[in-house]
Parts: sequence; C-alpha cells; structure tokens
Amino acid sequence: MKGGLAMQNTAPRNFETFAWRAMRISAFLLIPLVWGHMILQDVVVGVHNMDLGYVAERWASLFWRIYDGLLLGLAFAHGVNGLRQVLRDYLHGEIARRIVNWGALAFWLILTLVGFAALIAGVRAQ
Amino acid sequence: MKRTLRIFRFHPEQDTRPHYATYSLEVQPTDRVLDLLEQVRAEYDPGLAYRRSCAHGVCGSDAMRINGRNALACKVLVQDLSTPVVTIEPLLGLPLIKDLVVDMEPFFAHYRAVLPYLINDEPLPADGRERLQTAAERDRFDETTRCILCAACTTSCPSFWANGQYLGPAALVTAHRFLFDSRDRAAPQRLQILSARSGVWLCRTAFNCTEACPREIHITRAIAEIKQSILKGRPAV
Repeated sequence: MKGGLAMQNTAPRNFETFAWRAMRISAFLLIPLVWGHMILQDVVVGVHNMDLGYVAERWASLFWRIYDGLLLGLAFAHGVNGLRQVLRDYLHGEIARRIVNWGALAFWLILTLVGFAALIAGVRAQ
Repeated sequence: MKRTLRIFRFHPEQDTRPHYATYSLEVQPTDRVLDLLEQVRAEYDPGLAYRRSCAHGVCGSDAMRINGRNALACKVLVQDLSTPVVTIEPLLGLPLIKDLVVDMEPFFAHYRAVLPYLINDEPLPADGRERLQTAAERDRFDETTRCILCAACTTSCPSFWANGQYLGPAALVTAHRFLFDSRDRAAPQRLQILSARSGVWLCRTAFNCTEACPREIHITRAIAEIKQSILKGRPAV
C-alpha cells in the first residue's frame, strides 16, 4: 500500500463505535444461543413440561448456567442498546439524550444483576 | 397526451399551511418533469418556485419528490411515470422555503463538517508539480467523485428525517471520496469526525439513498466501507 493508505492504526475509540461493534458481535453470538435455547425449551422439552424442578435440574449443570448467563447478558445488552438508539433518533436535546443513556444503562444493569443473582444463587427444588 | 400535475404549494407570506394545486397539461411522452414545471410556470402561474440550473442532470439543483420518490426533475421522463396524476413535492427533512424550494443550508453544513477537501501538508514532489497516483488508486474512490450534491439521498434517508444532526449519505459520500484518496493525509481526523455521535453509526442501511441517487452511486456500500475503515483505523482498502 502507498501513501495515505499505509498510515498507522488510528481507530477512533468512542462509545458509539464500541456500541456499534458490540451490537454486531452480540448479534452474531446470539444466533446459535437463541436457536439452541428455543429448540431445547420449546421443541425438545416443551413449555408445558417446565417447572421449578426442571429449572433446578438444568441449573445443576455449570454449562447451562454459563449458557443462560451468556444469553441473558448478550440479549439484554443488545436489546437495550437497540432501544437506546431508536430513542436517540427521536430525542434531540442533549439533556434528554443523557437521561436516556443513563436510564438505559441503569435499566440494563439492574435487571442484568437480578438475572445473574438468580443464576448464581440457583433454584432449590421443593 | 394529457397529464395532471399535482404540485405541493406553499407561499410563506400568503399561506398558513401548504396545499396541493393541480394543473392539466398537454404533454409529450418524452417530456421531462422539469418541462412540465416550466409549462405550469409559463401557462398557469409564474410564481411557482423551484430550483433548476443546467437541466441536464449535472448541477443537482432540481431534486424533488416525484410520485413519492426523490429524483431530479430533469432526468425523469413522463413516459417513465405510470400514473395519470403526477405528484410533485419538495424534498423531505429540510426546512421549506416556498413551493418546491427547501433551505439547503443544513445539508451544506453537514457537507462542510466532513472537511470536503484534500488535506496534505507534506512538501510537494521534487518536480514541484503534481502528487501522482496510480490508475488503481484513483479508481478506488472514482464512484464517490460522481456526487453532485443534489441532496436526493440525504433527504430520502429515514435516519436523517428522524435526526437532522446525522451527517447523512451525501456528506458521507464526500467523506469517502477524500478518505480513500491516496494523496490525502487526514484519515485520522476524518475517521474521528465520521465515528462521532452524528456520524456513520446512525446509518441503518435502509438503502433509500442508493435508490434515490441520480448518479447511481452505491452509497450504502460507500458508507459500509467507511464503517470498516473506522474499525480498522485506516481506509479499508
């Protein structure tokens, strides 16, 4: 390569670039995770056969806890960031945008923490 | 043949809100929509406001919505429009001034924001004349040099309609033209601007811009190449 195309890597590091990349990576990882989840829960097991005992049995395995943790973390982050981007299209004031940014972050963080707390604490079948 | 022209009209000093006026015209299949507008101005209302200059698809002055699609009035023929009533409206997303004339300043402000000029502070070559580039290097950005700044792309973009701060396809096409020019030395600066909040990430690949471009520039692809360049930190060859 010659001239301007041979310059060193100067990739801009800002939140929107990070968010765009994160959206693509999470979407890519979610494809097998969501399909696996849907086929297992809705087809193999069936929604009518799921109860606390089933969840306890499933979460007895570290693999399924990690699987569900990834699904929760990636899907929820992907969804909330998408929501944030859509809202930002329609909110033009800087203050409104800040509120949406921080609100989305708090919403994502609180619900993700609740989900992970459940995953870590597990279920005790009665 | 007969055609009815339904034109969006608004006179800022007389009207409180826009309305549509219809005009019945005797036209030829090979007439351009611009010819129809000229006919209305000559036969019905000399006050009809629209922009035009070269009338040959080069100056980019007469972009407008024709039957709901952005196009240059001088490039659309009557025979290409299947409807008996031809609806003509101003571009969306820019402030309306009068009839089919919109305020292009927000559009040009975005154009200026991407530094639409070659930046190279290095000393001139030994012969003191040209900074040479190969045919292949020139070819890399050939397509995006074709832009005539008519705004048909930017004003067809739903991201731009929703958020007027978005640079928009036309500014990004210009950015692409200089980013991929081997003689340019401002890629880091350009990539910073393009990756900012109002930049390239607001493109949702709706492809409206590509469809609207009267110069047949593959705009969405050019924008995707800018996105790749930002991730790589240099023009993605």
